[in-house]
Amino acid sequence: METIGILAAILGLLMVLIAGKQGFMAFFSVVINFCLLFITILLLSSGFPPLATALFSAICILAITIYMGNTDEQTSNTAFLATICVMLVMLCLIIPFDHLAQVQGFANEQSEEIEAFNLLIGVSFEQILVATTLLSTLGAIAEAAIAIASGLKEVIEENKQINRAALFRSGRNIGFQIMGMTFNTLFFGMFGGNLALFILLNKLHNSFSYYLNSKIFVAECLLVLYSAIAVILVILFTTWLMGRKLPAKKES
Amino acid sequence: MSVKNKRSLLIACCLLLVGGLIYFLSWHDAFLYHQDIAEVTQVTPLSSHKTQDEFKNSDQTHRQEVHLRLLNGKHADKKVTVKNTWSNSGAFDQNFSAGQQVFVDLQKSAHGLTGQISGFKRDTYLLLLCWLVIALLFLTMKFAGLKALFSVIINFCVFIFFVNLDVSLNLNNFFWLFVLSALIFTALSLAIVIGWNKQCVVTFASITAGTALALGIGVLVLKATSSSLHYESLDFATQAPKQLFLSATVIGLLGAVMDAATDIVSTIFELKRAQPQLSVKQLSLSGLSVGRAILGPLVNVLLLIFFAETVPLAVLFFRTGNSIAYTFDWTMTLGVVQSLISGIGIALVIPAASVLAAWSLKKEG
Repeated sequence: METIGILAAILGLLMVLIAGKQGFMAFFSVVINFCLLFITILLLSSGFPPLATALFSAICILAITIYMGNTDEQTSNTAFLATICVMLVMLCLIIPFDHLAQVQGFANEQSEEIEAFNLLIGVSFEQILVATTLLSTLGAIAEAAIAIASGLKEVIEENKQINRAALFRSGRNIGFQIMGMTFNTLFFGMFGGNLALFILLNKLHNSFSYYLNSKIFVAECLLVLYSAIAVILVILFTTWLMGRKLPAKKES
Repeated sequence: MSVKNKRSLLIACCLLLVGGLIYFLSWHDAFLYHQDIAEVTQVTPLSSHKTQDEFKNSDQTHRQEVHLRLLNGKHADKKVTVKNTWSNSGAFDQNFSAGQQVFVDLQKSAHGLTGQISGFKRDTYLLLLCWLVIALLFLTMKFAGLKALFSVIINFCVFIFFVNLDVSLNLNNFFWLFVLSALIFTALSLAIVIGWNKQCVVTFASITAGTALALGIGVLVLKATSSSLHYESLDFATQAPKQLFLSATVIGLLGAVMDAATDIVSTIFELKRAQPQLSVKQLSLSGLSVGRAILGPLVNVLLLIFFAETVPLAVLFFRTGNSIAYTFDWTMTLGVVQSLISGIGIALVIPAASVLAAWSLKKEG
């Protein structure tokens, strides 16, 4: 607790020093998101329907991340709309896929960790998995949506006569840079988060077939792949939404 | 229909075809496995009964008889019947249904073949989702999109190599091994994304500076408050947990720090190209303003990724009567500390990248 307090204070101080008022708002949004996530876990534990709870907190988290981090209202609105749409599309992908792949709950590698518990606790771990998968993709899509919306707004402002096709081309260029880096963030986040797991797996198993089928490894991979898909979709959606207001052909 | 539309239609059809092929092949790849694989042909429910634990959690367990048809090995096409128990919550078990493929451990007994289900075959789904990512990348960004993927794949190979190296060397100070791997990751990713030039060197320097400083702060705070962390709650720890934790932190924050640094440095270099008269101060200020906009969202990305991992365990803790403080301590503290150190890294790399990039351009002019 003490460690967290000191580190949080340092982070808050640094964010305010570096980014001033905007930094304060950003730090505040991180704190609120943390509280929201914690409350979500409490609600899930007390038996609220996982999907509805996750959707509700997802919309709150998106609104906070997008509107508190960003000052321009038009780009925020576009980014928010795009992330909500992508979230709904992702839900249609996550629910059937998580059911098919059966990666809910705990894996054999975690049996030591959970052996003290009675696991018949009356909550559906499959639905919890869908809920957490949904939540874990939010950060990446919010970041990508904001970045591309503000990037495209710059483009439109610099060249007021730009037509839709040209904007889509810029969207692809900006989107590519954003995507490459977001992929890095996601994958290194996963490598780092699962370093101990990778070392353990390396000590226990060496077969390729194990990696392709093990519950825990597949679960972690699916999580990153969902985020990657969501990021690609949100780039497309945001670009499309920004271009919708422009004329299809250049007026001459 | 224009030629361009026809071409994209053709590409989409090809991708769909490849997807179908991946599905078909991975569904029929049992012959590639050494383990015995079987298909569930029929499931008969046997009995169910309700359970309630001391925390008033009611659940239901079900017994079922699973009829299997073996798909590979010397017993191919033989039939086996096994028993399975599953619960409504499904934390550690699963309900089988006809059409699924499973791994089985077979035993020969007097009555013929018997066995148990030892695992579920998931390769089809993993490969299909990988295919979906690649197809989407290709459709939206053409070959440029595959470049981003290429960087990830190379880094994954390097990562696996270092994990292997760590396991086989079994060093006492393996933290430095992962620091080395982090440096290589950074250099590789930047070289692939930016290309090998001055901009790449400046970005690399600012990432190293920001990360090292953040880690230094993290280690100092951890030293000063060493008693309050449960390193033993680190999942899957098979080596010194504190070093493992720090290694995981370094690698985990790398992506986000790279993201911030690349954005800032490329903006400053672009500005200098467009308006060569800009001063060092003006350049670093524009760098800072780019950094300001991405600071919050980036910290949020890491927070959300980390939180998702802790949810099932935290729910289990709460449902079995543990207090909020105890649950937080044992399931989340390490993750929160890791996210905070990453956040500090992201915050510090912003001034580091702004100043270094602006200063490097001054020397040139």
